[in-house]
Amino acid sequence: MCDQSAGGAKASRVSRRRFLHSAAWMSGAVATGVGSWVLQPRWSNAAAAPIRVGIATDLTGAIAYAGNANANTARMVVKDINDAGGILGRPIELFIADTASDESVAVANVRRLIQRDKVDLVLGGITSSMRNAIKDVIVTRGKTLYIYPEQYEGKECTSYLFCTGPTLSQQCDQFIPWLIKNGGKRFALPAANYVFPRAVNEHARKLIENNGGEVIVEEYYPVDQIEYSATVSRIMTNKVDVVLNTIIPPGAGPFFKQLYEAGFGRRGGRLACLYYDEASLNINEPQEIEGMANCLDYFRAVTSEDLASERIQAKYDREFPGRILFAAGTGATGMYRGLKLWELAVKEAGNLDREHVAAALDHAKIGEGPGGPAEMVPGKRHCKMNMYTAVAKDGKFEIVARSAGLVDPMAC
Amino acid sequence: MAAASSIGAGSLRGYQRRVIPILEIVLFAVFVAAPVVLQDYITVFVTRALILALLALSFDLVWGYSGIMSFGQALFFGAAGYGVALLARDLQITSAFIVLPAAFVIGLILSVAIGAFLLLGRHPPTTIFVALGTLAGSYVADRLARDWYYLGGQNGIPSIPPMTAGGYEFAEGPAYYYLTLTVLTLVYLVCRFVVRSQFGLALAGVREHEARIAFLGYEGQRMKLAMFSLAGAVAGLAGGLYAFHEGFVWPNMLGVVISTQIVLYALLGGVGTLIGPIIGVMVVEIASFALSDSVPKVWPIVLGLLLLFAIQFAPTGLIGLVASERERVGDFGRPPLRPRHTDAAPDDAAA
Repeated sequence: MCDQSAGGAKASRVSRRRFLHSAAWMSGAVATGVGSWVLQPRWSNAAAAPIRVGIATDLTGAIAYAGNANANTARMVVKDINDAGGILGRPIELFIADTASDESVAVANVRRLIQRDKVDLVLGGITSSMRNAIKDVIVTRGKTLYIYPEQYEGKECTSYLFCTGPTLSQQCDQFIPWLIKNGGKRFALPAANYVFPRAVNEHARKLIENNGGEVIVEEYYPVDQIEYSATVSRIMTNKVDVVLNTIIPPGAGPFFKQLYEAGFGRRGGRLACLYYDEASLNINEPQEIEGMANCLDYFRAVTSEDLASERIQAKYDREFPGRILFAAGTGATGMYRGLKLWELAVKEAGNLDREHVAAALDHAKIGEGPGGPAEMVPGKRHCKMNMYTAVAKDGKFEIVARSAGLVDPMAC
Repeated sequence: MAAASSIGAGSLRGYQRRVIPILEIVLFAVFVAAPVVLQDYITVFVTRALILALLALSFDLVWGYSGIMSFGQALFFGAAGYGVALLARDLQITSAFIVLPAAFVIGLILSVAIGAFLLLGRHPPTTIFVALGTLAGSYVADRLARDWYYLGGQNGIPSIPPMTAGGYEFAEGPAYYYLTLTVLTLVYLVCRFVVRSQFGLALAGVREHEARIAFLGYEGQRMKLAMFSLAGAVAGLAGGLYAFHEGFVWPNMLGVVISTQIVLYALLGGVGTLIGPIIGVMVVEIASFALSDSVPKVWPIVLGLLLLFAIQFAPTGLIGLVASERERVGDFGRPPLRPRHTDAAPDDAAA
C-alpha cells in the first residue's frame, strides 16, 4: 500500500517535471522563434529521434484558405501516425513553413526547412509557380524528397518529386465525354491567362474534338479581370452548350453571376469548372452556380458511399471546425494521400535514405484514403485514384458519375 | 589605410568626428567574418540580403544623388535576372565571367533606353512624371512576363543551374556569399568614387537646384541620365546574382512590389549616403527573418509600422541618427586646401 502510494507520488513527480520541461521547451521555442512551428509529439518517446517532416504551404496571402487546409490535414495525419506508435518506432516531428503565396518568401523559408531543420521530406506548394520555385531548393540543391499534393496540369517529371493530386488527364478524360452527353457539343473555354488554363484548354480541345464536339469560344483574360459582359454575350449569341471555365477568383464569381443573369442556365446550358470544390461554393449564391459540374478525386458527398472517406472527413471536422475545409481543390486530399503513401514507403525501406524511400514510394499503395484507395504508378511518380463527377445542387455537390476503378494519371 | 587618411583629412578640414567611414569599415569587417561564425543556412539568407543591398544601392544612386524618384529599379533587376536565366536555360552558359557582365549590360541598355525616354524630353520632366514612368515600366514588364510563354509565363523559369567559374561551382553558402560580397564591395567603391567626384558635385547641384546648374553650363538631364544608367546597370548586376542564387526567376521579380520594397529599405536606412540603404536592407531583412519566425501573421504589419515611424520621425533614416547632416552632405572632388569652417578653430589650436 505504502509502496504503491510512494510509487504513485514518484510517477506524478516525474511526469510533472517532464510536463514542465516540455512546457518550457515549447514556450521557449515559440518565444525565441527557433522552430517554424514546432509540434513535438510524444515527449515520453524522446529516446528515438523523431523523423522530421516539413510542410511548405501558403498559410498567409491570397490562397491561405488552401494552404491552411493542407497544414491542418498534415497535422491530423501526423497525429494519427504518432498515436499509432510512429514510423520505425520513431515519432514524426512536423515543421510547418509559410510560403506566403509569394515565391521569394517561399524560397527563403523552404531553405530553412532543408538547411536548418534538416527535414527528411517536404510536402506542399499549391500553385504550379510555387512548385517551380521551391522544387530546386528541395530536390536538386537540398537532396530531399518532395511530394506535391495539388491537382495540376501534369507534365512535372522531376526525379524525387512525387505528385499525389489528380492530373488534367485524370480530371478531363472521362469528364469531357460526360459534358458532351449531359450538356451539348458546342463548347466555350473562357480562361485566365496563365499556364494552368492554357494547359486545360489545349487538353480539353483535343478531347472535345475527338468526341464530336466543337470549341466555339476560346479566350484568355488578364488574371484579375472582373467584367465579362462581352464574353457572356458571345456565349449567349453563339448558342454555346457547355462553358468549361478556367477564369479564377476574383473574376470567377462575377463571371458566373453575369452568366446566370444572362439566362445561360435557364436555357439549359451546362457550366463546368475544374477547380471548384466545397471551399469555393460560398463565392456565389447557390442559384448562380446551380448545375455546375466538376470532376475531382473527392467530394464531401463521397462520404455516403465510402467508409474511409467518411471517417477522415469526420475526424477533420472534429479537429478543425471552422471555415478551413477539407476539400479536394485545395490539395488537402493529395496531402493526406502523400503522407500515407510516404509512411508505407518508409516502413518498406526501413530507413530514411532518399534513394530507398523514393524506390519504395514508386510503387506504394494505400487501401483507404479520401475518395478511396490510391497507388503510385511505377516509374511515373504520379498517383492512380478514383475520380468523381459531381454537380452543384442547392449549394452542395452531388455525385452523378464515378470512375470504374482507379484512373491512370497518364503522366511522364 | 584609406579610411585612416580620410579621417586625417577630415580633422584637417575641421570635422569634429566622422562616423560613416567607421561604419563602412565595421560593416565590411562584420560581413567578411559572418560566414565563419554563422550557420550555413543563415549565410545563405545573408547572401540574399547582400544582393538586395546591391539593388538598394542602385536606388540610392538615382534618388539620393540625382533626385530621380525611380519606382522601377526592379525592372532592371528582373530583366537581367530573366536574361541570365535564359542564357543558362537555352545556351547552357553559367560562367560568372559571362553572366555577370551580361546582367550588367542588360541593366545598362534598358536603363539608357528608359532613362532617355523619360529624361531627355524638350522640357525637364517633373519628379512625379519620372516616378510614374518608372513605375509603369515596372508594371508593364511584370504583366508582359506573365503572359509570355517563352519566359515561362506566370510560372517563371525554374531550375537555373549554379553559377560557375571554370570548373568551379558557386554553391549557395559561403562560396556564393563571398562572390556577392566581392561584387558589392567593388560596386560600392566605384559608386563612392563617382558620387564624391566633380561629376557627383555637379549632380548634387542638379538635384538641389537644376535651373541654377543649367546657367553654369551643365546639361542636367544628360548627367541625370548617366547616373540613372549606372544605377540601372548595378540593379542588373544584382538581378543576375539573384537569379543564380535563388535558382529561379518569376514575374514578381520585375514588378512593383520589389521596386517599392527597395525604396522603403533605402529610405529606412537613409538615402544619399550609400551605406544607409545597405544598413536599411540588413535591418529590415533581419527583422523580418526573426519576426516571421515567431509571429508569422503580424510581421508584415509590424514591418509596415516600423517603416512608417521611421519615415515620419526620422526622415533622414537610421543613418541620420548617427551621422551629422554636414557629414551626410559630405564634400566632393579634391580636398580643399584650407579649412572652410570656423568651428575648426579648437582643432587647429590643438594642432
